[in-house]
Amino acid sequence: MEPFVSHRGRVAVLDWTNVNTDLIIPARYLKRIERTGFGPLLFADKRYVAGGAPPIDNPDAKATLNADFPLNDSKYQGATILVVGRNFGCGSSREHAVWAVAQAGYRAVIAPGKGEGFADIFEGNAFNNGLLPIELSEEDWQQIVDAERAPGGAEVTVDLRDQSVTLHSAGKADRRFAFDVPESDRDRLLKGLDAIAETLLNNEDAIRAHEQQAAAWLTPQPA
Amino acid sequence: MSETLFAKVWQRHQVTTTDEATLLYIDRHLVHEVTSPQAFEGLRLTGRKVRRPALTFATLDHNVPTDNQLDIREPMSRRQVEAMRKNCSDFGITLYDIGSGRQGIVHVIGPELGITLPGLTMVCGDSHTSTHGAFGALAFGIGTSEVEHVLATQTLWQGRRPKSLGIEVTGKLPPGLEPKDIILAVIRAIGTGGGTGHVIEFFGPAISALSMEGRMTICNMSIEAGARAGMIGPDDTTIEYITKVDRPFAPKGAALEAALADWKTLKTDDPSAFDRHVQIDASKLVPQVTWGTNPAMTIDVTGRIPDPAQVPFASREDAQRALEYMGLTPNTPVSDIAVDVVFIGSCTNGRIEDLRSAAKVFQGRKVAQGVRTLVVPGSEQVRHQAEAEGLDRIFNEAGAEWRQAGCSMCLAMNPDKLTPGQRAASTSNRNFEGRQGPGGRTHLVSPAMAAAAAVTGRFTDVRQLLGGSNGH
Repeated sequence: MEPFVSHRGRVAVLDWTNVNTDLIIPARYLKRIERTGFGPLLFADKRYVAGGAPPIDNPDAKATLNADFPLNDSKYQGATILVVGRNFGCGSSREHAVWAVAQAGYRAVIAPGKGEGFADIFEGNAFNNGLLPIELSEEDWQQIVDAERAPGGAEVTVDLRDQSVTLHSAGKADRRFAFDVPESDRDRLLKGLDAIAETLLNNEDAIRAHEQQAAAWLTPQPA
Repeated sequence: MSETLFAKVWQRHQVTTTDEATLLYIDRHLVHEVTSPQAFEGLRLTGRKVRRPALTFATLDHNVPTDNQLDIREPMSRRQVEAMRKNCSDFGITLYDIGSGRQGIVHVIGPELGITLPGLTMVCGDSHTSTHGAFGALAFGIGTSEVEHVLATQTLWQGRRPKSLGIEVTGKLPPGLEPKDIILAVIRAIGTGGGTGHVIEFFGPAISALSMEGRMTICNMSIEAGARAGMIGPDDTTIEYITKVDRPFAPKGAALEAALADWKTLKTDDPSAFDRHVQIDASKLVPQVTWGTNPAMTIDVTGRIPDPAQVPFASREDAQRALEYMGLTPNTPVSDIAVDVVFIGSCTNGRIEDLRSAAKVFQGRKVAQGVRTLVVPGSEQVRHQAEAEGLDRIFNEAGAEWRQAGCSMCLAMNPDKLTPGQRAASTSNRNFEGRQGPGGRTHLVSPAMAAAAAVTGRFTDVRQLLGGSNGH
């Protein structure tokens, strides 16, 4: 996994609440058995005109953008920080939703409401892919949204070392907001560790001990 | 100290734990073709094996056509199904393939086969894994990286222990009302994020009175309230389900005796142990219908489409967007809304009891002109049982399509889908935009309500069709 230490980038805002993973990546694209190719499919049924999204087997095919979709605004091209509404990523467990966001070029997603910004499974999937999910207070989140909508837009610097988001906007002093992530996720992300290798390296004995003390009925009885 | 059922199951599966993270042992891992190929590919790339293949069970469900299961015409679907077969064969995992007699939706076959048991930890790359919590298992959906982690280590990292939310369902469910109405009413009351960071335990007289099928419907949709999992404490109903019918992987003999002794301890000591506590009175419920684009956007069948300014848990803009997508105007009576398609099936409502309650409504009636009605059993076993009971004849005589087992029209990954603008009464679990096909409009209802919509061509209070006292 690519480590995440700090990153500065332009902000794009999609402030809808309860954005579900079917919206982020429609189910038909889950037929792909690869981990790649999901970037152009992010929000496919919103991003492209009705019936105009790329085919499943050719994500890079030319497709007609829907001018009304907020993220298609030309000012957002090249943005790497996605600012979203509350309960982002609810619904299905599909990790393809995180792959799509990350492969579309975003490094971090910022949602409002501590403990309520992201659906649980999406948040875990994001950590496992080096896409940093950040929950800010409603007030701090609003400041970023307002700054992005002011002339000149906004950039932020996300620093995972001191768990801070710094907002840079034209004509204003930088503002700094704090966020929390679980220590174990932070450590893994900072170092870009392989979770399976870490688990086996540090816990093999404990896993084996657990298996040895397990009651017999816990093992499936052969048919 | 008073403990919750959830805390007890969590604690006994801790391999290691710190303040911030716990490594949980996983007792059962269910796998389907959609969320696993990249995980197996990861194992191949790193030269890893599946640690305990005997704890892992696979089936094919999402891509399977339900008119003729064997005829998968879509090349990408076929490729995904072939990948599952190869992965199971390469890594030594039991696969319940199409035509095995045991194939079906992963959350229907787990309990049928005795794979699902009280007190277990169970995961699957599928959010509706919460279904298995109906047995008092801690069961939840995971992403594909986690699927790979479980395959390789039989464990899973979790952050801080989720909080517990006790949902007490009091009273007696009135005739014509179903478990689906209970869970829709719960989600309506607490919102789609109301369970985030929590494991829900359902309890109370209206829950105890339910069959295992009904309990599975309720736990299945816990995720639609954002909960990490849903659970129900095991009781005599649970034990009867596991022991009365041949369940190939359930414990037997001495192992069963030991299990039964253990399962008796699996209950919440006192409701004061819950971090949060919510009460719902089942006796006051009327049939529920979703009107919008998430499952909290739910109203009574006797109600009217709401004003977008007065939708709980949604901004005016979000509610307005939902109304526009659904093609509805505020103040329209629900009973004026006509449907094009009716879908009865899915991991939420594709079990034998669901089909029986739909059949009760179809009996002696005909599907309304122009309504396409699909009845899709959740597994090959459910299909056989329904046919043994003659339910297939009732569906066919009514003019509904009696189909083969699979996820079908719950999500648009197989040939069963809505076309743009079509409106469906569906017993599935998600009314998200495009969930049943791009541009499709989904209203979630119980199986009885879906059948009522099929025979009348619009949303109809099923209590009016069932006769007896309906309170209207």
